This record gives sequence, structure tokens and C-alpha cells, in this order.
Amino acid sequence: MSDKFQYVIETEDLGRSFLTYKKSEGLINSIKGFWNRETIEKVALHKTNLKIEPGQIVGLVGANGAGKTTLLKLLSGLISPTTGYAKVLGYEPFQRNPQYLKRISLLLGQKNQLWWDITPLDSYALLAKIYDLDEMKAASRVQDLAKILDCTHVLETQLRRLSLGERMKMEIIGSLLHEPDVLFLDEPTIGLDIVAQETIRHFLSSYVKNKGPTVILTSHYMDDITSLAARLLLISKGSLVYDGTVPGFIAKTELIQTVTYKIKDAPEMKEEVKKSQLNEFLVQLSSMGQIENIKIEETDFEDVIHSFLQKESRLL
Amino acid sequence: MSFTAFYKRNLGFYKLAIASNLEYRLNFFMDAMLQPSITSIVEMVLWMAIFKGAQATTIGGFEQNYYLAYALWATFIARATVNWTYEFKMIEEIDQGTINGLLVRPMNYYEYYLSQLLGYKSITTGFSLLFPVVIILSTQLPTDWSRFPAAMLLVFYYLFFVYSISFCIASLAFFFNKVNSLTVTKNLAMWLLTGELFPLDLMPEAIRKVFLLMPFSSGVYVPVGFLTGRIGWDALWQGFISVTLGILFFSVLGALLWRKGMKAYVGTGA
Repeated sequence: MSDKFQYVIETEDLGRSFLTYKKSEGLINSIKGFWNRETIEKVALHKTNLKIEPGQIVGLVGANGAGKTTLLKLLSGLISPTTGYAKVLGYEPFQRNPQYLKRISLLLGQKNQLWWDITPLDSYALLAKIYDLDEMKAASRVQDLAKILDCTHVLETQLRRLSLGERMKMEIIGSLLHEPDVLFLDEPTIGLDIVAQETIRHFLSSYVKNKGPTVILTSHYMDDITSLAARLLLISKGSLVYDGTVPGFIAKTELIQTVTYKIKDAPEMKEEVKKSQLNEFLVQLSSMGQIENIKIEETDFEDVIHSFLQKESRLL
Repeated sequence: MSFTAFYKRNLGFYKLAIASNLEYRLNFFMDAMLQPSITSIVEMVLWMAIFKGAQATTIGGFEQNYYLAYALWATFIARATVNWTYEFKMIEEIDQGTINGLLVRPMNYYEYYLSQLLGYKSITTGFSLLFPVVIILSTQLPTDWSRFPAAMLLVFYYLFFVYSISFCIASLAFFFNKVNSLTVTKNLAMWLLTGELFPLDLMPEAIRKVFLLMPFSSGVYVPVGFLTGRIGWDALWQGFISVTLGILFFSVLGALLWRKGMKAYVGTGA
């Protein structure tokens, strides 16, 4: 159904601020604050314009408190905007129309969304009722997804007795049970070991290839972004600072490369060189003597984003 | 939205509450049986002491047996008509942002916990009432069993009223942190207003009339007084009417608070 829209997600000047009160240090200020509180407005997300086409996988990256989760909450209808509007699948998210909610899914990596005291199978049966699904089909879908995620053996164990990795697999099945058109994934691999991260990454990658939902993914693990997302949104201090492809971002950034070299009769050296100056550096190096060994390493994507955000936060 | 989908979904919530509560057997037994049994025994002993101290055969026109029956039923009925478990849960969910996982589902938060409350109360009340039933049958304390179904109907109808108040209090958590203290204050007031503390007919006539007009008395005094023969059918019908008005008032208030609260909600914690 999402192919009816040119853009599945569209926002115009979408922003959110909230009021909080200033709490100065000390007991006297606590007493003062009891009757006189200074309210301050904090902008969590500045006016944001965004257009996302059907089937796109968008990686949303930023530091803690940058506004990533606020954007996801606005798009999933959890909170209301203070400026502008958003349209997702033609719906205004904050209206929380049941027909809209049936077509989206929000997976919060840091929160349990299934029921703690019952087994995942019981949770899925309840979800099938909530989403008004054919119960037989839903049950068979659970088995299919559990097989792919290799977690069939824990379906009948209460959620509270499962490990973090198993719980996350269960949450993923729960969020995909109704085959959403739009998936909001907030840190789906957080806290998991490398093997579990890889399993979930692989699963999500093949799922989106097969089913083609539109996905917005936030993660602190850059492997999640590079292996899943075609488009990258970088957010810093509540503002979008980059919107484009991952390779485009790398090309835009002045990359630093690490050159490790050994010249005859000299100790091994290591230097960081800007990519644009690499040729010049190599010419200089060859004139210094006979090169016995040389290794040029690309900077990690995570480091690139990190330095980009650092630079941005100094500018903002 | 079809009625079948609504019914199936809410039956699912109802069953969820039963399954979740039966998961913790010791807690269930303490909550449903041990705590109200101990409270009722203490209250019955207290009434025996009062009668002995007063050296009277009747107080307020009723003999000791009527007070013992009242104390016994009142403790268990009060347990059935109080809702702090889900009220606390709702407040905590809003405070900590764990409500987010529910708000993105195509369901109504009001019905989600109402159905769970009904499920939880059905299982705990069904189990806990075994105690007063056995005691009454073995001691012949005054109870009109023919009135039992009507009294229980009012008890369960009253739950809708109690839940409407809970929903209003929980909605305040959108605006204030730590509104749990309001729940405790409300429960203390209910202790007196429902007639759980002592039968409302012991109050001065003017106060009794006002209390009876309020829906709160249908939480304990009206069903228990009706069951034990202190009051008649007219008081029961009045109970149904005042509870209906109470439900309407708090439902409208709850809907307004919820709508405003959702606007103010920042979804902190997730």
C-alpha cells in the first residue's frame, strides 16, 4: 500500500520543544524552587524537513540527546509536534489512528514491549488479537520468523527468564508480526554481544530485502548503519546536519588515512595524512630512501562520524 | 472497527491479567486470601470487644452478629473494589515512558487496563470470597443469599467507577511526577467514604444521607449492608444510579485529562 505515495514519510518544519525548570545547586535553591520555579524551554528537535521514499532504509545517527529518538517518537505518533507537521503513510501520526498504528511498528531496543510474565507465544497470540490478525496465519508466521532467528526453543519460556539477546529476537518477531509498512527501529542491537548483533543485522537485512518496508534505524553501532542503511541522516543538537548516502558522506568528509611505513635503516613510522594530500605525501616518502614496507589504512566509518559530529558541535 | 475484534482484544487483556497474576502463586495467595482474612479477623475481634465494652446487645439498632457479618464481608468486598495495583502501574508507565510500547499499538489505553482490572478482580475475588462464604455458612452470621447476585453485580459495576477515577489520577502523571501520593490519599478517603472503616449507618443521619448519595458508598456499605440486611432494594438501586453518574463524570474528566496530557507528554525514558 505504501507504493501509493511518492513519499511514505514527509515532514515540514517538524519540531518539538518542551518545558523544564532550572534547578540550581544546593538546599537553599531546593527550598526556593518549592514555590518559585524558573521554567526554561528546551528544543529537542529544531524545524526539520524530511522526505522518505517507499522502501528506503534510513540510518539516523547522532550523539546521545541529539534528537534522534524525539524524531522517531514524533513520526510514530507518541508525542505531538510543537511546530510543523508530519505525514506518514498519509496519516498524521499524533492522531494515532488505529489504521495507521496497524501499519507501523516501533521497536525500542532499550525497552520490553512484550509482556514480562507470559511466554512470547502468549504475547504473540495477544498481539494477533490487538492487530486483528488471522490467528492461524500469525502463529505460522511466528514459527517462520523464529526459525530464521534460531529461537524456536524459547518461545514457550516466560520473557523474564530469557537472556537479553533472546529477548531482543522475541521483540523483533513481535514488531514484525503484523507486517508493518513502516518500521522504526531504535537501537535494535544495543547491549548485545557481537554474535547476536550480527545475527539480528543479517536477519533485518534479509527481511527488508524480501518485504520492502520503509525503515528508519537509529544505532550507535555504525556496522548497523553501513550494512543496512542506504541513506544517512546525521542529527546534532536537534538539527539535521547531513542527509545523503553513506558513501556520499564519506566523500564529503575530509578523510584521514593512516600510513605505516618503513624506510631502509630507519625505524617503522606511522603518520595520519589527509586523503587529498596522500599523493604528495607518497612522493615525498619515496624521495626519502628505499621503502621496505608500506601500509595505508582507511579510517573507520565510526571515527569519521565521530569527528564530523565533534566538528559540528563546535560549530553549533 | 468490528465488535468481534473489540471483544477478542479485550478478552485477551482480561486473560492476560489472570495469567500474569497466577504466575506468582505466593503473592496471589497473600493478596487474595491471607491479607483480607487477617484484616477481617482483626475487625471481627474489634467489634466483639466493642460490644463487650459497651455491655450492650445492640449498637445503632443492630446486634453483634450483624456487625460481625458486616466486618467479614466488608473486608473482602473492599478488597474487590479497590484499585491501586493498576493505578500505580499506569502512573509508573507514564512517569517512566514505558507506556510508549503500548501507545504505538492499535488499541485504547483505557480499555487495556479496564479489561485487565476486571480479569484480575474476577480471579482474586472469586478465590478470596471462599473465606467469608465458608465462615458465614458455618457460623450462621446474617446473610441473605438471595441478594448475593445483585450485591456482586453492584460490586463489579462499581469497579468501572473506581477505574474511571484511577484513569484520571494516572492521567495527572502527564503533568506531575510522583502522583502516587494522590492514590494513597484517595484510598484513605475511600476507606471512610465507602463504609469500609465502619458501617455508614453509625454516622449522624445528615452525614449518612450525603454519603449514601455519593457513589463511593456502593464500594462497600451498600452491597454489604444489602447482603447482611441493613438496607433494602431502594438503597441498592440508588447505588446503581449514583455509580452511573460517577462513571459518567470521571470518564469525561479522564478523557479531557488524557487528551491534554498526551499533548504535554514528552515520552521520557524511551
